[in-house]
Amino acid sequence: MKHLMTFLLTLGLLTVSLCAVVPVDSGSANAQFHAGRTAEALSSYRTLLASSAFAKAGSFELWYNRGLAEEKTGEPVAASLSFRRALILSPGFVPARRQLSKILESLGVPFRETPIDKAFTLISPEAMILGGAILGWLGLLAFVVLFYANREKKGYLALALVCFVLGHGVSLAGSMTDPRRVAASQGVVTSKTSPTLRATPADSGTAAGTLSPGTLTSILSRNGAWWYVSDGSGHTGWIPSDTITPLIPALPSASGS
Amino acid sequence: MIFNGHTGWRLSLAAVLTAASLHAADVSVSAELSRPDITAGTMAELQLKVTGAQTADVPKEIDVEGLQIRLTGQSTQVQMVNFKVSSSVVYSYIVMPLRTGDFTIPAIGVLADGRRFVTSALPFSVRPGSAASSAASAPIPQPMLPQMPPGMRPRQAPRPAPQVPSANRLAFGEIHCAKKSIYVGEMVPVEIQFFFDAHYPVQVRGKVDFGGEGVLAERFPDPKESHEERDGVTYNVLTFHTLLSAVKPGSVDLAPAKLDSQMQIPGGAPPGFDDPVFQQLLGGQSPFTQSRDLAVKTAPLHLDIMPLPKEKRPDSFGGAVGQFDIDAVVANPHPAPGDPATLLIKIGGKGNFKAMGPPVLTNAEGWRTYPPTDKFDSSDELSYTGVKSFDYTLIAQQDRQLSPGAEFSYFDPVAQQYVTLTTKPLPLVSTPGSAAVPPLSGAVAPASAQGSPIPKQSTGPAKEGDPLGEITLRSWTTPVQRPEFLIASLAMIVATVALAGILYLRDLQARGGSDRSRRRRRIATLWSVINADTSDAISVYDAAVEYAGMMDVPESARDAVTGPLKEQRDKLKYGTGGSFPLPPAERESLLATLRGLGPGKTGGSIS
Repeated sequence: MKHLMTFLLTLGLLTVSLCAVVPVDSGSANAQFHAGRTAEALSSYRTLLASSAFAKAGSFELWYNRGLAEEKTGEPVAASLSFRRALILSPGFVPARRQLSKILESLGVPFRETPIDKAFTLISPEAMILGGAILGWLGLLAFVVLFYANREKKGYLALALVCFVLGHGVSLAGSMTDPRRVAASQGVVTSKTSPTLRATPADSGTAAGTLSPGTLTSILSRNGAWWYVSDGSGHTGWIPSDTITPLIPALPSASGS
Repeated sequence: MIFNGHTGWRLSLAAVLTAASLHAADVSVSAELSRPDITAGTMAELQLKVTGAQTADVPKEIDVEGLQIRLTGQSTQVQMVNFKVSSSVVYSYIVMPLRTGDFTIPAIGVLADGRRFVTSALPFSVRPGSAASSAASAPIPQPMLPQMPPGMRPRQAPRPAPQVPSANRLAFGEIHCAKKSIYVGEMVPVEIQFFFDAHYPVQVRGKVDFGGEGVLAERFPDPKESHEERDGVTYNVLTFHTLLSAVKPGSVDLAPAKLDSQMQIPGGAPPGFDDPVFQQLLGGQSPFTQSRDLAVKTAPLHLDIMPLPKEKRPDSFGGAVGQFDIDAVVANPHPAPGDPATLLIKIGGKGNFKAMGPPVLTNAEGWRTYPPTDKFDSSDELSYTGVKSFDYTLIAQQDRQLSPGAEFSYFDPVAQQYVTLTTKPLPLVSTPGSAAVPPLSGAVAPASAQGSPIPKQSTGPAKEGDPLGEITLRSWTTPVQRPEFLIASLAMIVATVALAGILYLRDLQARGGSDRSRRRRRIATLWSVINADTSDAISVYDAAVEYAGMMDVPESARDAVTGPLKEQRDKLKYGTGGSFPLPPAERESLLATLRGLGPGKTGGSIS
């Protein structure tokens, strides 16, 4: 039992460490923002996000702040990307969702809010996955202990089994719905003009429509400077890779460069 | 920027004279000291003159132990003697003594017109003397005669050439800062003045170079021009004003403020043209001037930057440092139901308006508020004084008769304490509208107004549109894609299996071991009972029956053995002689029968 408690404690600490508060001070950047010096604030947010503190993880707060600054400095497409990144890190963060909705509306890009998105305002996928896994494993451990210690109490055994099944079921559901699962293969159209979807990866390819700046796309295939994308509405085609920015940003190196 | 623009025709003349010198005479090089001996703490000037060549390759520094001799600039002189024109390039070096004593400035090698020339060595001595007295008594460098070719020197005594003042008398700078100790964020007015000798035309080049790490200098507005007399000399004065503010505490030594300029100073007038009568004819000024590049500097500025005190810092403090007052106005005190009202908070005074945060609204219950828009009206060109207005949009959620109040805190560097200003609620009659109020452009309604709360896991702002303060780390990958999650899951599997194994073994132990081991032990016990001489006959046959029943043999064979054994046992049990030990012959026969049931003889085969 002692070993089990040690293990569970370690697991808990691991969970907490995933949401650790980092010693990064955004106070001065926020002060610049409040003072109306949004260009300076934006520069500060970008510098902070390029620091080594974010070599392995991101901060939805900083991406949200950056999105606000980009919005104020007249960069709506970049702001939409920042808000999307904030939502990747914290899918239930309502202010970012509202800002994104507003910006996409101004860009003429449809914004779909699914029931799952609304559910994330109640519980985050991270909490579902980790909480469900912990509940599931605790249920299994309880089942094993009860089976050998007091298997006559069928009710407790059934409850433990339900915890095991329900916990891992919730964890699985969280994993399946977590936007980060597919974010690595998604990108946002960030070119100033609407790139043309082409049937073949060449400028001479047959045009198959255009994508508005700010559109979220799934990157289905990559062929050099051309990426085969889908906008989720049945439109697929090849577009130049420099018109799309991956949803997961290139992480800064640990040395801070 | 040109102070004196009367040199145009003189430059034209110089150009003509220069063109006429294309058939210049032979190249000659000479060196001359402004003073052969000086006192410690003063400096001298060494001029290297190259005549008959437009350019020359000269050393930038001249190594003399105990002296520091560095090239400071160059100028061009044009001479005309008996209508024969020659041009010279003069390279000026500053000679700074590092100790007293007699020195010899060595011959200087010069590459000009593709040939190498060498000057003659010059004696130079530095006499001891206090710095103050030396500086006070330091004479203005003596006028330098233009170097002339041998044989062309005038036989008469040289005429006085125009005076060339020392560089530090030609131009200098001063910096005036009202305070030497300031607080972080405090704006301090600074005045920087550059003085230029009014006798000589000067052209300012570039901008004022001023500032340092950790200290911000506001942009310089256009300078003010004035005249001022110092020590009997009239100077043209350029006065710049700026504001300094510090971003972090500590001691800061700001480098001198610098302004690059070029001054036209007299020099190089050949004999015949340096006559006062000639100069009178030319408007009282010598047509022969040389350009001198000057980097006019002020003294360095030392500042002690103090942090803002943390004690007694009000919650409504938003970074304002200075001296301010507050005023509040309701723009429309009777809005229509559901219409927004505007509360205007004005902060006036002097200080760091750029870093000033908005006031905090008080008594705002029943009002929906939005982040204010702000506007600053400056009273001066440095934005040091003025009024900053914050427009708050208010929408009544309940029937209200009064507007919210406001609270604004700042740090007063003069009183060295925080000051909190408040405004009282003003009359404002407003009622909520029947329909939902659409969000205003540029402002987003608070989350609570939209019916979907900000989730607890997010550290949401008080108002949307405001940046978030706390920073947390979140992984870009879902937990199932992270190694630590997979490791933890594997560890849980191992722990569960281990726990189940441990519990199973403990259960087994509690139950006396496995069925097989228990059977094995039972068989051994029965065999020992059968073999024991002390066992009575009934016990022996009971054990034999059980033993035969546990053997893994065909049922018919088992029945063939157990049947007679049971019959004999019952006979003993219900007849006589059962309580006596079994006769040895009968025991041997019984053992032989039982051995025949299994290969192990004592244990048989175990199923």
